[in-house]
Amino acid sequence: MEPALILVVDDDARSARTLANMLREDGFHVDVAVDGASAIARLTRAPMPSVLVTDLRMPNADGVAVSVFARSRDAEIPIIVVTGYPHLADRTLSPKPIVLTKPILYDDLSAALARVGVRSS
Amino acid sequence: MDLQKRVAELRQYVDFGEADARCLADVRPLLAPDFARIAQEFYDKIREHEEAHAVFTGEEQIARLQRSMQVWLGRLLGGTYDAAYYAQTQHVGEVHVRIGLPQRYMFTAMSRIRLELVRLIVERAPDRAKATNAALHKALDIELAVMLESYHDAMASRVERRRALEQESGAIARADVAAIELTRELVVGVDDGGVIRLFNAGAEETTGYGREEMIGQKLVAALVADESRDAVEKVLADTKLNRFSVDGFVKTRAGKLRDVRWDVARTQIGNIHVFLIGHDYTEERALAELSRRSEKLAAVGTLAAGLAHEIRNPLNGAQLHVSYLERTLKRANASAEMLEAAGVIGDEIKRLAKLVTEFLDFARPNPIERKTTSLGALVERAAGLIEPEATQAHVKVIRDMPSKDIEADVDASKIEQVLLNLARNAVEAIAPVISNGGSGRVTLRLRRQPKAALIEIEDDGPGLQSENAPIFDAFFTTKPQGTGLGLAITHRIVTDHDGTIEVDSHAGHTVFRITLPLRGATENVS
Repeated sequence: MEPALILVVDDDARSARTLANMLREDGFHVDVAVDGASAIARLTRAPMPSVLVTDLRMPNADGVAVSVFARSRDAEIPIIVVTGYPHLADRTLSPKPIVLTKPILYDDLSAALARVGVRSS
Repeated sequence: MDLQKRVAELRQYVDFGEADARCLADVRPLLAPDFARIAQEFYDKIREHEEAHAVFTGEEQIARLQRSMQVWLGRLLGGTYDAAYYAQTQHVGEVHVRIGLPQRYMFTAMSRIRLELVRLIVERAPDRAKATNAALHKALDIELAVMLESYHDAMASRVERRRALEQESGAIARADVAAIELTRELVVGVDDGGVIRLFNAGAEETTGYGREEMIGQKLVAALVADESRDAVEKVLADTKLNRFSVDGFVKTRAGKLRDVRWDVARTQIGNIHVFLIGHDYTEERALAELSRRSEKLAAVGTLAAGLAHEIRNPLNGAQLHVSYLERTLKRANASAEMLEAAGVIGDEIKRLAKLVTEFLDFARPNPIERKTTSLGALVERAAGLIEPEATQAHVKVIRDMPSKDIEADVDASKIEQVLLNLARNAVEAIAPVISNGGSGRVTLRLRRQPKAALIEIEDDGPGLQSENAPIFDAFFTTKPQGTGLGLAITHRIVTDHDGTIEVDSHAGHTVFRITLPLRGATENVS
């Protein structure tokens, strides 16, 4: 089975890259976007990621806008929100996003990925 | 002097004793058949006198007064002259004032009654007429004296009332004058020499001085506080200014300063050359000050909360990189010391993260959302949640529940947070004792009180280090890893529920007591 593709969106570029490295080491495909606009741009291209991991407060379109856009492309795409502002998460989205409060443990993210059913190779 | 003393003095003065009382009582049966006639004749006589008759409102009143007189005659010869007796006599005097009977008629009327009674006594009890009549004279004179006294008192208070009424009606004769007396604003008029000539009720109320004290005084010297004297004097002296405002402190009789904004108009009416309309804005200013301060505090709170949120981003970066570091170190078979060092960084980041979360809970509490909740279920749930940690620490969790469940309108998740927080504190307090071979118990107890539910979290740990420690204050902690916000948040949640929380602690026994009012529940019952 082809490993899942994760789109990691965070304006903290170094953290996003390190997270991506760890996920790749664990057998996932990962794309990184460092602001909302580039995340949306990425979502207009194939292949569509199988899960969106996004920050909320970012320049050029925030995580809520990215989430809404992602759902417009794939109504079922699982979303994991990783944020310092958990109360700003859009809980009206359906299916509901999983909200993790920064700072997150890598293991917590792994567990969340398992919950939404994405698998590594 | 009270009535009893007054009468005792009068009786002693005319030498009215028990023998006199007996004399009068003895002749009463002989005279009683004539009481109605005496009263009838008495009022018939009054009808002949225009001025005396003028006081009556009609025949109904005369009939009533006539009956009263019969009763009075019976009392007069009743032989009992106690306080109740003279209270009635006193009342007669008051009635005379009420109906407007001039006093001269009281004396002349008494003269008529006296003559008739003397005549009857001589006729029907000739053998003891002398002693009986002497007693009658004394009794009647005391009657007159008491009535006169009460007439005078009643008249005096009536005159007082009339004077007050006249003053009032004089004042309301002109609506504009009334308005000046009604307003809470200070209205002061001064003459060309700066002497106060008008001083309204508002000015009296604000300053505490009466107009009788203030009229004739120099305005500035009498009312304006030193702090603003120069400014006020200067503008008042400038005759080119006809209409202006000036702020000045007014000093009150009590020595307090009031902030008053004066609207000043120069216009001559009578001997008044300058009118000053003052608005006391002391309270408004204090309120504005308070709201400015709380706005500032709120702004600082918002700033702090914003900062706390933003701290989470670098913490996240640090945390992820520590995870990455740990993973890499493990793969490289790094030493235990290096792995431990990385672990310490991770733990410190977690601690900071916890501090941020609790600070945000504290700085920006979510409003409580009340729902009717089973407190029994809530306590049970908290006990269940703490049990794994407790068991691990060899602490037994005991549930002490009431026979009947208690329902209250509370924010269940918030109260659960409170119970968990206290239970966790209890377990953590006992844990060190267990490791020394002791045993530990944490009891969660629920009880009903008349108007509240009582929840106790009890432990047999070592107790608080100091009884007076400010444990509910933010950032107070005795735990090496504590943020000092747990109990502050707990306190906040309980008080947000209009409840109370207190602690009772000594070595081996600590109990936190929470009461939550049963508003909704008690209303349903009643």
